[in-house]
Amino acid sequence: MCLRHCLTTLSLVFLVTSRLDSPATAADADIDGIEFFEKRIRPVLVQHCFECHATKPKKSKGGLRLDSKRAALAGGDSGPVIMPGKPDESLLIDAVAYGGEFVDMPPSGKLPDRVIADFRTWIALGAPMPDDKTSDGTQPASSPAPQKTVDIEAGRSFWSFQPVSQQPLPNVSNADWPQQRLDWFVLAKLDEQQLEPNPPADRRTLLRRLDLDLTGLPPTPDDVDAFVSDASPDAIERVVDRLLCSPHYGERWGRHWLDVARYAEDNPTGESTCQPPPFPWPYRDWVIRTHNDDLPYDEFVRRQLAADLMDLPPEEIAATGFLGLSPVYHKEPKLSGEVIRVIVADEWDERLDTISRGFLGLTVACARCHDHKFDPITTRDYYALAGVMASTQLVEWPLVNASLADAEALTKTREAIVDYNLRVSYAKAMQTAAEIEKQPTEPFEKLAKEYQKTLDDWKSRKLFDGPIANVVRDAGVWVDDHDPDWTNMVYRAGEPRNLPVFVRGNPNNPGDTVPRRFLEVLSDSPARPFKHGSGRLELADAIVTDAAPLAARVIVNRVWGWHFGQPLVRTPGNFGALGERPSHPELLDDLAARFIASGWSLKWLHREIVLSTTWQQSSRIRDGRPTEVDPDNRLLWRMNRRRLEAEVWRDAVLATIGQLDGHMFGKSDSIDDEKNHRRTIYGTITRQNPADVLRLFDFPDAKRHSDQRTLTTSPLQQLYLLNGPFLQQAADHVVNGPLPGSTDDSDARSDSVQQLFRTILLREPTTDELDASLRLIGDESTQQGWQILAHSLLATNEFLYSD
Amino acid sequence: MTELQRQLCSRRQALGSIGAGFGALAMSDLLRTADSSLVGARTHFPQRAKHVIFLFMSGGPSHLDLLDPKPLIKQYAGQRPGEVQLRTERKTGGLLPSPFRFAARGESGIEVSELLPHLAGCADDLCVLRSVVGGNPNHAPAANWLFSGRIDQIHPSLGAWTSYGLGSENQNLPGFVSLKKGSTASRYVRSGYLPGRHQGTPIDVGHDSPEKMIAHLRNESLSTEVQQKQVDFIQQLNRRYQQNAGGDAALEARIEAMETAFRMQFTAGEACDLNRESKTIRESYGEGWFANGCLLARRLVERGVRYIHLEHSRWDHHEHISREIPKMAAEIDQPIAALLRDLKQRGLLEETLVVWGGEFGRTPVSENGDGRDHNHYGFSMWLAGGGIRGGTTYGKTDDFGFKAVEDRVSVHDLHATILHQLGLDHERLTYRYSGRDFRLTDLYGDVIGDILA
Repeated sequence: MCLRHCLTTLSLVFLVTSRLDSPATAADADIDGIEFFEKRIRPVLVQHCFECHATKPKKSKGGLRLDSKRAALAGGDSGPVIMPGKPDESLLIDAVAYGGEFVDMPPSGKLPDRVIADFRTWIALGAPMPDDKTSDGTQPASSPAPQKTVDIEAGRSFWSFQPVSQQPLPNVSNADWPQQRLDWFVLAKLDEQQLEPNPPADRRTLLRRLDLDLTGLPPTPDDVDAFVSDASPDAIERVVDRLLCSPHYGERWGRHWLDVARYAEDNPTGESTCQPPPFPWPYRDWVIRTHNDDLPYDEFVRRQLAADLMDLPPEEIAATGFLGLSPVYHKEPKLSGEVIRVIVADEWDERLDTISRGFLGLTVACARCHDHKFDPITTRDYYALAGVMASTQLVEWPLVNASLADAEALTKTREAIVDYNLRVSYAKAMQTAAEIEKQPTEPFEKLAKEYQKTLDDWKSRKLFDGPIANVVRDAGVWVDDHDPDWTNMVYRAGEPRNLPVFVRGNPNNPGDTVPRRFLEVLSDSPARPFKHGSGRLELADAIVTDAAPLAARVIVNRVWGWHFGQPLVRTPGNFGALGERPSHPELLDDLAARFIASGWSLKWLHREIVLSTTWQQSSRIRDGRPTEVDPDNRLLWRMNRRRLEAEVWRDAVLATIGQLDGHMFGKSDSIDDEKNHRRTIYGTITRQNPADVLRLFDFPDAKRHSDQRTLTTSPLQQLYLLNGPFLQQAADHVVNGPLPGSTDDSDARSDSVQQLFRTILLREPTTDELDASLRLIGDESTQQGWQILAHSLLATNEFLYSD
Repeated sequence: MTELQRQLCSRRQALGSIGAGFGALAMSDLLRTADSSLVGARTHFPQRAKHVIFLFMSGGPSHLDLLDPKPLIKQYAGQRPGEVQLRTERKTGGLLPSPFRFAARGESGIEVSELLPHLAGCADDLCVLRSVVGGNPNHAPAANWLFSGRIDQIHPSLGAWTSYGLGSENQNLPGFVSLKKGSTASRYVRSGYLPGRHQGTPIDVGHDSPEKMIAHLRNESLSTEVQQKQVDFIQQLNRRYQQNAGGDAALEARIEAMETAFRMQFTAGEACDLNRESKTIRESYGEGWFANGCLLARRLVERGVRYIHLEHSRWDHHEHISREIPKMAAEIDQPIAALLRDLKQRGLLEETLVVWGGEFGRTPVSENGDGRDHNHYGFSMWLAGGGIRGGTTYGKTDDFGFKAVEDRVSVHDLHATILHQLGLDHERLTYRYSGRDFRLTDLYGDVIGDILA
């Protein structure tokens, strides 16, 4: 998709600065010139000129070929067209500038002025082009650009590809401070800058932080009281164990993962060929369950990519909803095969991007049109993996044992119904057109009837009606355009396919075929082609074995970010050259190595983190040196204050007012529905019209993999808090309960205010706050007054943040 | 990455995360001098336009019946000469002449169809682009292309880029507003990967009371006085919380956003209240939701909103075009002409770029006998005001109006030109996402120098 054009402004900046920085030798200039040719000239030649001026056409028009250096400089029937160094004397310039003295090229229309200027620049530079490779000078410039940039061997030495190992503990100024290994690394860095860490958070703050962080729900006032008065040394550890065993843990941490997996229950648009998948939630439920069961992360990865290819109970196939719920775009059958192939290639690209950024922190999708500009990833790597996607079909599948025929009928029938519906309406439209144009209508009438009959037949079939999920299976995917009026998708089970390199990312311009395999830089060289089916299971295995150090670093970094509000590598989906380097490299390696040694246990990782002195610090911002030296808190001299995510905030309100419906799993309910009091993870997630509260509070766009949430602050959020129905109803509920009501007794009123503070903010009001509350309620102490007070407390920043 | 780039990036990220609402600007902060006033923001180029009103005609209005007369079609009616064999979304028949007459209008003599008599009166203010080329023949991808330069649903829209680049002139109103009839939001006003506050704030112009036009604008159960007390109380707690937190900028931003929200209830309410306009003005715009939308667009421009997206629909005339298109034209003609005149009379047209167009045009060949299919190969749009030369046409389609053949204008060129008039360089207005810098015009786009005044 967008990543097809990875020529960044930045790379141009690099090109320019490299020229300015070093005195240009002739050789340098030539390299830059060739680079200029590759970036600015070759793409134009490929797109606009090669149709007529390259080796392939039966006869090059005007005898001119522009696809090899020798042929281009030799010129055509009119003699040389390129005079190196002399744009004004070059016929090529006159042609593309529609100068009038020669031919006007390309005939389809004049190129933009900037492109013409590029041609002038290029010729002025001496018309540099890469040398022809073969003796007859036919190394075609139309084949993929020469592999001159990516050095796989050198690429292997990049930091994130190195093995991980436990690191020696550094010396620190205060050996009493660390509680966990990670604390040593944090304190050592702080020592370097002579920064003091914050003191520990108070007990109330710490408990609220633990509860919200591990389960996404606030503690009750009683929990707070019990914890504050529990002086036993293992009090914190017992709380952590209790929370990690709570079923709410999976609801909280599963939701983090669903951002990565861009889980949603519909498609970006809703035309007939991209209707919402009917059974999305089994994947969501699988993610929650496996989190609660602490399924080892390596196995968690493998199953999401390839549970259908593993020997597992049939319900486990739900895991592959990771791919089965990928966004799908409309494929109008009346469009040409060329157009549909681009759409299909975009879909594969999105899946590849989600897998590579999600599991490996690599922007493999940047290598769709050309080798990656910065990372050791080639176009061949890209198509080797894209071939896996081209051998994988999105299907509906039973979650219990069923016959293959019953299983296959599910997807086949739905697609046939969509297709014949379209065919019927098309035939009817043709019939109407014929009527108006006074042409014979019978052929279309007949056709419409035939299609209708087939449609009715499909509709009447009885389908498997047990539990079903939207998942994937192995099947080669093709665009079938042999019928010029009707382009169809074709899936062939058991026929995996290798893809050709799409030259410049254009699926209608295939180059060499690449066998399906893993990324070269992360494999033993050379990478072994996948042998089994689509290769999905081999891909999954490679991610958690060959690439284990990288995969472990990536997930440990994500988990760290979800705990701290800021990951160690602040580009969690990019561990490549353009990604950030970790703030604490040894810490990340130590944690990643031990995470693998722990059996890839996420719950182990949570304990390592939340039981650390670092995580348990106060979040208070200290003026002076800490803020001056490290305003972004990269060194962790304090805990980060975190705004609750949209779903945690909504759940916290419902829990606080005692209205949370604890019913787990199953079909989703609309979040905008005022009667829906289930946790937000069970709310409908749409790629088209996200619920108000999610849209306003920065829930990620589920059309693509989300690295991390961007927090925005806007008055519309505050209008929602002040005037939206959700908080008003919540406040109504609070004051309708056993709470205050109307009373003339001022002591009783004060008690009620205190009780409201305890319920909502888990603390006593200050004297000022108590007075202000009583003033807000007013002397009449009406129901409305209490409602306003409860509403106000729920709308505070204090409720919205975790300290 | 250079040190400067790194600083810009981290600054940008910081702004993205702690911005103080509509008034807090991202890129605009980087462009501006230390002076915190919103006026006189430093831009890449001198600013010719401060505001954009984009009149989006969803569905694909027929250029052949409105703005691009092709008499030759009549001569070849019902036939399919070689030039018209372009593949479109659906099955098409022979050439279908337009039943509507065109005449030269104004001093400039631009030919405009009889379907747009009011707009024809503004011909000398229009710059009609007759050679726009779209990116895709289907509605949603083509409209994505028109607003984000890509066919997918991911990239930010032109309005979001504008808000990101320039911010709002009014602290109490959003920088980017989307006007549409109905409660479902437009799909083409998204902020994509830009911070969420740059998304178009939806106003439902199907209603005429401000409370119904903006979600959650008013509290239905509390009087202003009572709500003021409530906000004071919340802010008291918020300030105490912020002090205890040690002066957190994000918390400060939320406190400011609460103030803005409270004020916005009245400023936005006032802005949306069309009853404050004189009878003469209201009558000049005519009746109906689209007329109200045009009038509201002018009121928002006056109040400093940067970019207004006004969406009209039902231009997808696959059949019965000669019967249906006059109805649509009648809905938009008088309001748009009134908008142009009103802006001009107030001296606002000079600084407001008005853009009109759909995601594509329509085919000269028939569909369903008396309809026209989608045509992204060549169609018309027009621009007015904002430093664009009025009374001109630019580019040409072929003899039948099927394909742009002269001075082709890509959507990226259009975007580059609009940003240029706003003082922004489309190659330098970038945002870092997914490991690289993105821009509205991807790798393309040339400012159309010939149409600048």
